[in-house]
Amino acid sequence: MLKVTGLRKTYRSGAREVEALRDLTFTVENGELVCLVGPSGCGKTTLLRCIAGLLDPSGGTISLDGQPVQGPPPGLAMVFQEYGRSLFPWMTVRDNVELPLKQKKLPAARRASLVSSALSAVGLEGTESAYPWQLSGGMQQRVAIARAVAYEPSTLLMDEPFAAVDAQTRADLEDLVRALWQRLNVTVLFITHDIDEAVYLGQRVIMLSSSPTVVQDEITVDLPASRDQLHTRADARFTELRTHVYEQIQAAKRGAQSTVDS
Amino acid sequence: MTKRLGNPVLLGLAGLAGLLLLVEALPRLGLVNDAYLPPTSRIATALFDELATAEFWRAVGDTLTGWAIGLAIAVTAGVVVGIVVGAIPVLRAATASTVEFLRPIPSVALIPLAVLLYGTDLGSVLLLVVYAAFWQVLVQVLYGVADVDPVADETARSFRFGTWARVRHVLWPTALPYVFTGVRLAASVALVLAVTAELVIGAPGLGKSIAVAQSSGAVPVMYALVAVTGLLGVAINLAARVFERRTLAWHQSVRGEIPA
Ligand SMILES: Nc1ncnc2c1ncn2[C@@H]1O[C@H](COP(=O)(O)OP(=O)(O)OP(=O)(O)O)[C@@H](O)[C@H]1O
Ligand SMILES: [Mg+2]
Repeated sequence: MLKVTGLRKTYRSGAREVEALRDLTFTVENGELVCLVGPSGCGKTTLLRCIAGLLDPSGGTISLDGQPVQGPPPGLAMVFQEYGRSLFPWMTVRDNVELPLKQKKLPAARRASLVSSALSAVGLEGTESAYPWQLSGGMQQRVAIARAVAYEPSTLLMDEPFAAVDAQTRADLEDLVRALWQRLNVTVLFITHDIDEAVYLGQRVIMLSSSPTVVQDEITVDLPASRDQLHTRADARFTELRTHVYEQIQAAKRGAQSTVDS
Repeated sequence: MTKRLGNPVLLGLAGLAGLLLLVEALPRLGLVNDAYLPPTSRIATALFDELATAEFWRAVGDTLTGWAIGLAIAVTAGVVVGIVVGAIPVLRAATASTVEFLRPIPSVALIPLAVLLYGTDLGSVLLLVVYAAFWQVLVQVLYGVADVDPVADETARSFRFGTWARVRHVLWPTALPYVFTGVRLAASVALVLAVTAELVIGAPGLGKSIAVAQSSGAVPVMYALVAVTGLLGVAINLAARVFERRTLAWHQSVRGEIPA
């Protein structure tokens, strides 16, 4: 279980201070798929970097399965927002996916089978010996996902992974994430600023306010577990939920506006 | 597409041919005294005579030995120091001004020290070569280390790479193109310093041969040897570039250049 309590983060560089996160408290149960939505700049990436142990919070605590997060915790993988820069251009696709497994000291045969099954899960068979920069943006994103999946994490953090791909690829990747989540029984925290995407993917949606950032609201997505792009999105309940999320986010913006005005 | 002004290689060769012709013509026309500048043909003859002697090849060997050992020491030290200093921000800040102070000291200013320590031995040459070449490598490696993409590094950290793995798989590949540039620059500087040391201190090598030719009045031989040092410099630079291009195919492509 991922438990975030009273999380606060203020960036300091010289005299400049940016309060990225004011007070965040939420939990994600094991095996759950939770989406986090929030306006651009509200601190979503900051939150994930804190959870991944890459950044020290200014206050509050984060624990993963009861263990406080101090450095990057074992069994956690993160798909970065800047996926292009998170792949190593000097390595082939295969080596990129395999390298974290080598660091985990898995035997070669096991590594090979994990790499090939992860790449085929994201539909990238045959690109093993290509370099990342020889692939399209959407393909690079899938390599980054494959690398995280091959790692067999128990917790998977995804930071707006589909922001830069076309609508069709995006729909395919959304279904891919749901399929992988159902198959691998992994805890997923998925960040997006797309409300439809959050409702379509998640079991739960956590809404963040705009800066100063707090948890604005939280809803359970009571849609059936098997979802598909056509029918789920046309469902009346889906529309209701997305309207609710939309209203909350608007309210958050107004709230922020009135604090600025006063 | 830009209009090409003819083949650059051909143009370069034409320029070189022009220079050789000029050097041939000037003394023959009596415009310069051929005791100071013999015509190309006489320099060429002297060069071919030299090529047949064992001393010449020994001198080339001595120069290249000093160059290679000095360069190897400078590159190793520059890379190790550069990575350690570059990767530790405190060290980097603490050494920045010292580097800026030591770097501009011309290596030749260390000649008295070199003579004091090593006389006319290889050690003198090495001291000068290493001092000059080290900074070239160090500065480039520092740039390279600073160029590490924070996202790539965070990726490595998030997958729990240890320090060594991060150096090996993230820092080193990022810095490698800079290392190559540093080595290429250092290789040229090292040759200059090797020849200078031989010339001034009298350590065995091409530089000393040039000095000997000059003092014994063998002017065409002196010019021939000078030409040989130039050719060595060109060869070293070309070899470094070819090697760089072969090894860094990915880098050229990332930068959107067309690998030749
Ligand atoms: N390294 C940093 N130093 C200083 N300020 C930072 C740093 N990183 C982020 N910030 C600031 O923190 C705030 C939140 O940034 P963050 O990247 O977490 O937002 P985000 O919600 O991920 O935005 P987006 O949806 O655009 O990706 C912003 O105001 C940003 O300027
Ligand atoms: Mg972000």
